[in-house]
Amino acid sequence: MNKQEFLAQLRSSLAGLPKDDVDERVSFYGEMIDDRVEEGMTEEQAVAGVGPVADIVSQTVSEVPITRIVRESMAPKRSLTAWEIVLIVLGFPLWFPLLVAAAAVVFSLYAVLWSLIIALWAVEISLWACALAGIAGSVVSGVSGAWPAALLSLGGGFVCAGLSVFLFFGCVAASAGAARLGGAMATGIKKLFIRKDRSK
Amino acid sequence: MDIQLKRGLLDVCVLAAIKNGDSYGYRIIKDLKPCIELSESTLYTILKRLESAGQLTVYTAEHEGRLRKYYSITQEGLRRIREFLEEWKEIISIYRFVTGEDGISQ
Repeated sequence: MNKQEFLAQLRSSLAGLPKDDVDERVSFYGEMIDDRVEEGMTEEQAVAGVGPVADIVSQTVSEVPITRIVRESMAPKRSLTAWEIVLIVLGFPLWFPLLVAAAAVVFSLYAVLWSLIIALWAVEISLWACALAGIAGSVVSGVSGAWPAALLSLGGGFVCAGLSVFLFFGCVAASAGAARLGGAMATGIKKLFIRKDRSK
Repeated sequence: MDIQLKRGLLDVCVLAAIKNGDSYGYRIIKDLKPCIELSESTLYTILKRLESAGQLTVYTAEHEGRLRKYYSITQEGLRRIREFLEEWKEIISIYRFVTGEDGISQ
C-alpha cells in the first residue's frame, strides 16, 4: 500500500468522526510516513511501519467521546429543504418515541448488567453477616450450655465464611468483566454510528 | 503495569524528549525507542493530552518543501518534569524500604 492509498483508507474509515479530528489525524500520519521515507525507507515500508489502519481506527474511536460522534453523524451534510423539515415535524410522534425506546433499551441493558453485579455483592455481604452471626450465636448457645445448638451455628458460620471467600473472587472478576463489557458496548455503539456514516 | 501509572510515565517521557529543544513526531518516537516502544497512535494521544494541559505548544514549520509539526515544551511542562523527579525520589525510598536495601527494615 502506498501513502495515498493508506491515507485515503484511513480517511474513509474515520468518516463518521468530526472533520477537524479526521484532518488532523490524517496529516499526522502523513507526516510520519514522509519522515520515514526521508530516512531512506520505501513508501511501502513506511506505511507498514505506521501500522494497520484498523488499529488506528480502534484507538481513535475509543478516544473520541460518543457525544461528538453522534452530533457529527446526526448533523445534515447539506441544508434541509422545506419539505424535509415539514416531514421531520410531522413525523415527530413516530420518530421521537422510537428514539426514546432505543435509548431505554440501551439504558436497561446497562442497568441489568449492574444490577446483577450489585446482587452478587449483596449475597457476598450477607454471607459474611451470616458467618459472623453464626459464630456469635454459637458463643451465646455455648455459654447457656446448649452444646448441640452451639456446634450447629458454629458449623453454619464457618460454611458461610468459606462460601463468602470463594464468592469474593467471583464478585471481583464479575465486576471487572462488567466494566469491560460496558466499555465494549460503548465502543460498539460508537462504531455503529461511524459505519452507518461510511455507507452513505 | 498499572494503566494510570504507565500513562503518567509516558507523558513525562515525551516531555523529556522535547526538553532540550523542539522536536517532531517521528523523531520523538525514535528518541524514545531505547527507553520505550511507542506507537504512532499512542504518541498522538499523548501529544494531544499534553497540549490541552498546556504542557507543550505546537507550531508548523516548513521542512524540505512540506509542512511539519513541531512540539515545544512550556514552563508548565518543565514543572511537570520537576514534579515527577520529586515524586520519584519518594517512590525510590519506598522501594528501598520494601526490598530492605535501606538497612532499616528487616
